[in-house]
Amino acid sequence: MYYIPTLIGLTVMVFAILHAGGPYKLIAPYINPRLSGPARQEQIQMLIQKFHLNQPIYVQYFYWLWALLHGNLGYTTTPIFSGPATEALAIFFPNTAVLAIFAGVLMWIIGIPLGTWSAVRKDKPDDVAIRVFSYTLYGMPIYLLAVVLIIIFAVYLKLLPISGVVNPELTVGLSWYVNGISYPTHVLIIDAIIHGDWKLALNAFEHLILPAFTLALAAMAGVINILRASMIEVLDQDYVRFARSKGLPEGVVTKKHARPTAMFPVYTNFAYTVAGMLSGVVVVESVFDYPGIGYWLTQSMLGNDMGGIMAGTLIFGLIFVTTSLALDILFAIKDPRIRLG
Amino acid sequence: MARRGGLGGFWNEERKLSLQVFLSNKPAVVGLVIVLIYIADALIVQFAPWLLGLKNPYALTPNYINPIPQPPSWKYPLGTTYPGVNLLTAIIKAIRVDLGLSVAVVLPGAGLGIVIGIIATYIGGWVDDLLMRITDIFFSVPYLVLAIAVGYVLGRDITSMIIALIIVWWPLYARYTRSVTLQVRELTFIEAARAAGASNAKIMFRHILPNALPPVLVQMSMDLGTVMLVISALAFIGFLPVSNFPELGYLTTLGLNYINTAPWTILFPGIVIVIFAVSVYLLGMGLMDVINPRRRSSL
Repeated sequence: MYYIPTLIGLTVMVFAILHAGGPYKLIAPYINPRLSGPARQEQIQMLIQKFHLNQPIYVQYFYWLWALLHGNLGYTTTPIFSGPATEALAIFFPNTAVLAIFAGVLMWIIGIPLGTWSAVRKDKPDDVAIRVFSYTLYGMPIYLLAVVLIIIFAVYLKLLPISGVVNPELTVGLSWYVNGISYPTHVLIIDAIIHGDWKLALNAFEHLILPAFTLALAAMAGVINILRASMIEVLDQDYVRFARSKGLPEGVVTKKHARPTAMFPVYTNFAYTVAGMLSGVVVVESVFDYPGIGYWLTQSMLGNDMGGIMAGTLIFGLIFVTTSLALDILFAIKDPRIRLG
Repeated sequence: MARRGGLGGFWNEERKLSLQVFLSNKPAVVGLVIVLIYIADALIVQFAPWLLGLKNPYALTPNYINPIPQPPSWKYPLGTTYPGVNLLTAIIKAIRVDLGLSVAVVLPGAGLGIVIGIIATYIGGWVDDLLMRITDIFFSVPYLVLAIAVGYVLGRDITSMIIALIIVWWPLYARYTRSVTLQVRELTFIEAARAAGASNAKIMFRHILPNALPPVLVQMSMDLGTVMLVISALAFIGFLPVSNFPELGYLTTLGLNYINTAPWTILFPGIVIVIFAVSVYLLGMGLMDVINPRRRSSL
């Protein structure tokens, strides 16, 4: 359990990145551009005093950490949101969470059967097809995957919308949807259900399908490959042969006997899947203009907005560390060697 | 590695067997051929652009007379993208940039990671713990996000992109090298070397490193593709404030506004990356067979 040291290290790293540019880079957004000459110098001195930038670096770290723990992450100025970074997080994080969870579920319900099937039918044409599919996914930049899905489903088949979260015609005059931000949960689809607007909820769901599918497919390649490899090994073991020789149907042998064992490498590698997904979120959200922390982060990057970049880096690190801790605990509970021993 | 007798010279039994194992893996051979084509392309554009008739090999050539993307034709085999850029020559130029950038990230990243990984295993104890906790911290931030943060501090340009990605990539190699060298460290010949009075540095770099290197090199060859994906993704989200820069991710963004009418502007640069990433992966799998004793003995 290295949860706490990793978190502390994460804050140290973000602090180091933040301060590597020197004090002037830190206060630059706060300087009034209309001031010049001595007044400007005076303001610079005042800001350095105010932000404790004249103190030793470790003292500055504790001032910064103190502010952080009190929910003060600085300010962000991007085309999609301006204001305190914590408020931006409250708005964008739920959207990302919904997208990532939906994508994770999709990945699981498509990837696991494909991996199993591929191993059972080893070297048959359908296995080769699945492997070509997963290699292609593996080699595909995630933005290309997103755009290809847009071209297929939105441009040619016209089944799904290209980007955004909702058809703007449906949101005209809604009291709980202001300036692209919905209330109270900030996730449009949940808010629409809360307010009983099922048409809007359905529309928001249609907008969610393509981004979620992109993320799921991108993360799926790893799961399929790992599961196939470990499944092939397990299918060759004596206890599986025994189950088969008992006369159990093949489906029961693979699903009930072989797969639970073969899943362990998938579980132990799941943290990497999550990490890949979080990187994917940044790209997918900016391709689809989906208002999550990834989109906010790219907007901050384009505008050189320090508050957004630092808050985004911290929150992504926090999400990853927390999920991997949760996964560790979950899989430890699932693993009979740990549960019973 | 013990040298068995036989032919002597460069093509001894050992190397012949390696070649045989590699050639028996057909996808890997295809991968190798494709990777070699990419490398040849990069070298030609770098050193002899006149061979391909490229007038302006290091930048895209816009044609504002006809900026709207044109479909593939005899004059433009892969069509054109906004603003009137010939996609075929653009892709030929871009392969050099992408391959160069990904080598520039993987080599130093791996070098740094290998040294740190070996130090961690060999010294062990709290140094090992500390170094591994540090890699944990780097792992905890998704690589794209970390690259954005580093890019903010250094200013977003090509150099800072390379530095950012090296910072993101070395922990992977440190971890991997450590896991490989941990097994080597326990072997008897290391103990023998220590008993013979070899210094720590000599044991680390003369005895442990050569045994740990082959798997790490395989990993490096595979990572060339992964890093290219990351570089193009960064360029795609606008990390590089450039114009006319022949980079595959940037090339893709040029056609984004024409997604309804000109899908080739997006598909062709993308397919070039996919082919490279998959080939490199297949090549890596083949190399893995070569260093895998079980696979060797089966021939």
